[in-house]
Amino acid sequence: MLSIRKNVVAVVLLFCLLAAACLSGCSAKDNSAKAAPAGESRQVIRVARQFGLVYAPLMVAEKKDYFSKYGLQVEWKTLGSGGAVREAMAANELDVAFMGIPPYLIGWDKGLPAKIAAGYVVSPVSLVTHDPSIKTIKDFKPEHKIALPSPGSIQHILLAMALEKETGNPNAFDDNLVALPHPDGCQAMLAKKDVAAHFTTPPYLFEELSQPGYHVVLDGFEAFGGDFNFNVALVTKDYHDKHPEGYAAFVMGLNDAMNWVNEHKEETAELLAPDFKISKEKLLEYLKADGMNYTTAPYGLMGFAEFMKKAGYISKVPEKLSDIAWENILAQIGRREGKPSVLEEIQQSK
Amino acid sequence: MRELLSKVAFIIALTFVWELMRETCHYSELLLPGIASIGEALWTERWEILGKTVFSLKIIAMGLSTAVTLAAIGTFISMSGKMFSEIMTDFMAIMHPLPGIAILPVAILWFGIGIKAILFVIIFSAVWPLINHFYTGFRSIPANQLEVGRNLGLSGVKLALLVMLPASFPHILGGLRTGWARAWQASVAAELVFGAAGGEGGLGWFLYKKRFMMETPGVFAGMVVIILIGIAVEYLIFAGIEKRTVKKWKTIVD
Repeated sequence: MLSIRKNVVAVVLLFCLLAAACLSGCSAKDNSAKAAPAGESRQVIRVARQFGLVYAPLMVAEKKDYFSKYGLQVEWKTLGSGGAVREAMAANELDVAFMGIPPYLIGWDKGLPAKIAAGYVVSPVSLVTHDPSIKTIKDFKPEHKIALPSPGSIQHILLAMALEKETGNPNAFDDNLVALPHPDGCQAMLAKKDVAAHFTTPPYLFEELSQPGYHVVLDGFEAFGGDFNFNVALVTKDYHDKHPEGYAAFVMGLNDAMNWVNEHKEETAELLAPDFKISKEKLLEYLKADGMNYTTAPYGLMGFAEFMKKAGYISKVPEKLSDIAWENILAQIGRREGKPSVLEEIQQSK
Repeated sequence: MRELLSKVAFIIALTFVWELMRETCHYSELLLPGIASIGEALWTERWEILGKTVFSLKIIAMGLSTAVTLAAIGTFISMSGKMFSEIMTDFMAIMHPLPGIAILPVAILWFGIGIKAILFVIIFSAVWPLINHFYTGFRSIPANQLEVGRNLGLSGVKLALLVMLPASFPHILGGLRTGWARAWQASVAAELVFGAAGGEGGLGWFLYKKRFMMETPGVFAGMVVIILIGIAVEYLIFAGIEKRTVKKWKTIVD
């Protein structure tokens, strides 16, 4: 009898504890960007950033105060991986995040409440190897390990797309994949240990290709059949609906930064070289590399979805562009009567 | 029976509270999946989960048996002289606080990416608590018990097996428990951090993949399996050993 009573007490206690947790969770759910103190009309926005050459425009925007020009105050958040960024967005701890189109589609498919507010840079992505016996992707053997950032990343999907075109089986090398962050993958490649090939992005891509004998096996643009945004800028539904001024300010600030980078590549290299810990000459060379395009225009937004559905990474395809993009993107692309326009066509893959 | 009933009641209450929390707060499936969808994920992924579990347990068995052997050797060395015991104590003071996962980068440098690195982390995580417990166990054997054994004409291996081992068994069992727990944690953590090499991996790799595919129910399903294995090992294996040994010998008072 006594033990039963003890258990009842325990269950009641547990119940109270969880109810408390639940209530605190409920109250914490409405923690979207706080309005700035009264008397100021400043908007606050929480932005996650990661590392890499593509983040140059964001760094410029921060250093040159492009967002505060429009009355926007940015809270920068740094998170470890794309997975963590997506989780923080789902938990409404972030208003803006940058990620590849495939990881975003995986999130969108699972109900991540965010849409594309801007394309973010077109950048070369390539599969590099140091093994002279590997000329095309058909030459990979079971013992060759291929490093890329994570399953479901843009690199993984590009490889699967190319494999489907070449061999008919998008998952042919899934057992060869090793998930490594870019810097670690780069280190493994340069040491020629464990890893035969690395699907990577600048600056790591240029670093590896500058070594003798390292060559490209697969070019991302070829795998996709055209240009695509390396990242897209996502804004949560919550922020977009509640803070239209903040949203507009963020998009404008981003545009300003892009334009400045395109018109002042030398100054950009000088400004950011200390952050990247490389010489400004080298950084300038990277900024001007073939295929780099600092732009907020949308490229290839719909091209990954069809393939990802077919290969089983997502359960549905966006029916229309407005399912995944906010109105400024839709207006840029437009809708031509009759045959689709050039801008509509570059959203698809070939 | 009654114990079992109260445990089942507790689990039912827990699921009830869980669902209530979801209903009252309207959490999305992304943040807090329902019990039904977790169950569904468990069922649809059952073969993969089974394969990954077998893989995980295989690695643990390899790592833990190696760690126990190393710990036995280490204990033997530190028992065989004052100088050795001091060196071992210093070594333990340095190594024991290091979480296994913290040496993963070094493990990758030495062994490359793959099973060897994970094994190294598991062995490292388990070996120090094992040595600690074994050594304490052997040092705490009452002298009169050893004397009685010697008077009965036991020596060497016989003395070790028939007197020393039973006398220090509570400590050894405690060491095995801690070692198992740390090895299990290390294997899951190592796979979660850097994934598996070449398409094979255990439950940590399963969690990692589910996380990157944003399949929260799958992540929870993996966690449920990890918890269940922990409970099964504790209640079936360790409690069983305890009942048949130290409780029967009355070396510990329950």
